[in-house]
Amino acid sequence: MRPSLHDAERRLAWLLLAPALLAVALLIAWPLYVIVQMSMRPGKALAISELMARPLGTANFDRVLHQQALWDAFGHSAVYTAGSLVPAFVAGLLFALLFHRAFPARRWLRSLLLLPWAVPGVVVSITFLWMLDASYGVVNAVLRDLGILSTDIAWFVDARTAMAAVLVPTVWKSFPFFAITILAALQSIPETLYEAARVDGASAWQRFRHVTWPGIRGPALLAALLNALWTFREFDIIYASTRGGPAGATETLGILVYREAFESFRFGTAAAIGVLMLGTAAIFVALSMRVLRREFT
Amino acid sequence: MRREGPSRASNSAPAGGGEAAKPRARGEHASQRVKRWLWFALAAATVAIVLFPIYWMIVTSLLPSSIVLSRHPPLLPPLEHVSLDAFAGVFRRRPVLTWILNSALVAIGSTLVSLVIAALAGYSLSRWQTRAQKVAGAALLLTKMLPGSLIVVPFFVMFTTAHLIDTRAALVAANVAVGVPFATWMMKGFFDTLPRELEQAAAIDGCTPLQALWYVILPLARPGLAACAIYLAIVAWSEFVFARTLVTRAELWTVTVGLQSFVGEYLVDWPALMAAGVVSLAPMLVLFLLLEPFLVSGLTSGAVKQ
Repeated sequence: MRPSLHDAERRLAWLLLAPALLAVALLIAWPLYVIVQMSMRPGKALAISELMARPLGTANFDRVLHQQALWDAFGHSAVYTAGSLVPAFVAGLLFALLFHRAFPARRWLRSLLLLPWAVPGVVVSITFLWMLDASYGVVNAVLRDLGILSTDIAWFVDARTAMAAVLVPTVWKSFPFFAITILAALQSIPETLYEAARVDGASAWQRFRHVTWPGIRGPALLAALLNALWTFREFDIIYASTRGGPAGATETLGILVYREAFESFRFGTAAAIGVLMLGTAAIFVALSMRVLRREFT
Repeated sequence: MRREGPSRASNSAPAGGGEAAKPRARGEHASQRVKRWLWFALAAATVAIVLFPIYWMIVTSLLPSSIVLSRHPPLLPPLEHVSLDAFAGVFRRRPVLTWILNSALVAIGSTLVSLVIAALAGYSLSRWQTRAQKVAGAALLLTKMLPGSLIVVPFFVMFTTAHLIDTRAALVAANVAVGVPFATWMMKGFFDTLPRELEQAAAIDGCTPLQALWYVILPLARPGLAACAIYLAIVAWSEFVFARTLVTRAELWTVTVGLQSFVGEYLVDWPALMAAGVVSLAPMLVLFLLLEPFLVSGLTSGAVKQ
């Protein structure tokens, strides 16, 4: 029951909201407006007033759309997003199913399992840089001892393996998010449903297919959307390990925007790439929303 | 009530699996018990594999380069060579303490600011339906879509204009920007679980709405505030792109920028880098273990689900 809004209450409601609205206006809406302005005003300018004085035009967009680097970055972003989403989702789902079972010390093991989520991206990067080092990395050493490798692979340095090399730490950091979400959803499925299914003689797969999956599908798909958005804009793990290299092999859109702005100092084209990136994310969200709305209503 | 077998988290599902299985558990057969230990073994093995990178970071930080830089690094550290030399060395040669201090100042500052703003706004959104609901939802969605490496571009321009480049205030502001929308939804979700009768009772006792918030609601919201604060602190401590761009003076570097500065050196001192990594990770591990029960109980699900 919502109480009717008396004037005093209405004032209080907005008063409490004021700091948040101010923060959003100043630190999200205004920067976004600046990005759009920058993307449409060709030429170099650092001061906002100077920038706004320039004539509007589409030169920035023309320029980036004719750059092969942009299309390569689109491809890399797609591979990076899908390539981390699928394994992270599968791992998160399997771990959630495992940790939904009853066994000793579950509470502690669960905490430990979810730990990678809290490790800063840069720390994740340096750890995997070391583990995947060509000469002294433990991964190559183990693969050599197992007879799988005969030569050293410079995972992060070789253009053919660099994308795989940045995907591994990304999956490692993102699977706990799926495990947490799916575990919470699993806990909300009433046990009686499983008992009924067992009485009806359902096999383990049928129980998963007809009881578990319908119970977790909504939250799992939402988690997939949020995680895809996160990987699509991910910067820390790639930049701290390869900076988008070697030879642009791991240059996603997020990296390209940054290098354009702070290595080439072309803010206008950087903003134009950023606008394209936001547009892509918005289309993706709009399409996903149609699926998600069916799940949650 | 505790029983020998599986310890269900105190916050877990309402009448979920374990609870329903309880009567059966008492007259449990030996095969059931074996099964539980098999699941335990599988879970423990999974955790061991998943945490190997953290283990390897710690092991490397405890060994000298002569052992670490080997074609066949020992998977178990030779105990006679374990030492804290790498820690001592990296603290001597690099301003790790300064980086940690900067990270702590930025994380504490932005967490406090975001938490105050988010608690007030979350309370308002939870209690009164206004048009701000839509604004808040849109802001949350936007921050989920806005790449940090993009929004840092206008931040750079804005803070240059405002002469805030090379200040910790710039980093606090940038972290507040991404923290407030999420934290607001998280707090709203928490306030939603507190019944409205609390304020009505307080009003009968003569409290103004603000007094009711301060003396009745906020004390009850402490677990939610704690979870929210820990979440914000973890995000701010991990933050990299703002710190790398908005400050240039080395004495203002945060720990993530400091760690990244090792990468690309001709000869990376791996034990030293891993030692610095361990030091930067330790506070996050503590915070995470405090936060984790809230995560699974779904306190944040309201925020996640918008």
